[in-house]
Amino acid sequence: MVDWGIPIGAGIAFGLGALGTGIAQSKIGSAGAGTIAEKPETFGLMVILVAIPETLVILGFVVATMIMIMLK
Amino acid sequence: MIRVEYDYVNARVKGMKSRLLDRTVFETLILKPDIDAIITELSTTAYKEELEKASVQYAGISCIEVATRRDFTRAFRNIFKLMRGDESERYIRIVLGRWDIQNIKTILRGKNIHVTATEIHECLIPAGELDETTLIELVKQPDVKAVIDLLATWGIDYAKPLTRNFREFSEKRDLAILEYAIDRYYFESALDAVSGDAEEDQIVREILMTEIDVTNIKNVLRIIRDRIDPEEAPHYLIEGGITLDVTKLQTMIKTGTLEGAIKQLDNTPYNFLAKVPDEVFKSKKISVFEKDLDRYLIRQGISRFLGDPLSIAIPIGYIWAKFNEVTNIRIIARCKTADVPEKELRGELVYV
Repeated sequence: MVDWGIPIGAGIAFGLGALGTGIAQSKIGSAGAGTIAEKPETFGLMVILVAIPETLVILGFVVATMIMIMLK
Repeated sequence: MIRVEYDYVNARVKGMKSRLLDRTVFETLILKPDIDAIITELSTTAYKEELEKASVQYAGISCIEVATRRDFTRAFRNIFKLMRGDESERYIRIVLGRWDIQNIKTILRGKNIHVTATEIHECLIPAGELDETTLIELVKQPDVKAVIDLLATWGIDYAKPLTRNFREFSEKRDLAILEYAIDRYYFESALDAVSGDAEEDQIVREILMTEIDVTNIKNVLRIIRDRIDPEEAPHYLIEGGITLDVTKLQTMIKTGTLEGAIKQLDNTPYNFLAKVPDEVFKSKKISVFEKDLDRYLIRQGISRFLGDPLSIAIPIGYIWAKFNEVTNIRIIARCKTADVPEKELRGELVYV
């Protein structure tokens, strides 16, 4: 019998992280686009700010990997 | 209808706000010796483009007046464009409707006292729905009746209160009748449009109600100064103020003196009016009170910036901040032209 609990847990850890990143990046992205339209010199800063929520999905990936490896 | 993404719009508005002149620039402008020096200083700011365009046709104070007016109009049109087709467009329409009313009143006043079309045009700020072309056509009309007729022909809503009250105006020849009618119409229809429970409605309603209070207090002071019969007073008062209802305003009028009326405002946010010097009360110079009330209204408008950053509060705060900036630049320019001493000039500034 296959134990579905581990892959489902890993999927939730990764999926929710990705969802959170998506929501955060959409908001920061549109605000960033508005800021760059008014002040093009802020482009570099905006790229960094849009990238920051990536940490969420990276953490989700790490947790998912740990679940898969450690609970095997 | 598309739902607005306030993140984008408000980021742009905040970007526009970052280009507003700060206190140090105003200090520099105040210390400049003449108009040309002020133009040179302003040319280093966001007004550069409009000043360059205006300087082709105009010089001196006219150049500043034209440039600031165009910049002001352009800023509001930009906000309007960002929100076009969106639900929030109606809020901006309501807020900018203030300038439509102001422009129509300016044209009516000009036509009533037979001022030239050029002079009327100089006083207009085409920031609302009525654009410059529309206003120019209105200015070209020969008299008050023709202006109202043209508004009615174009199906502009503001023609309704004017048409309804025109007969009374032609009998008494008192323009205040038309002015109060159009003010009342604007506030009533605006409040009606934002009567919902949505956060946006509340934000716009609050600033409109504050404006009604300020307009009512100004009217009460004029009624007392001009000794208008208290029985006629309700005709000049607008319902829907945030702090002062019509009963309270009538109590103020019944005191019959400016001191008595201002005393009635003791426990309200308008108690700052009691701090004006005694000479003002004696000379019945209500322009001092009006200026204080305008300052209060502008502060309230600008304070919207402290509201929800993802709401209509930010564009509203910007509109007031821009209005304040343009008003102050014009005050400085006019005072420099008239050689007003620095101390008096600072007193004239609305809010720096």
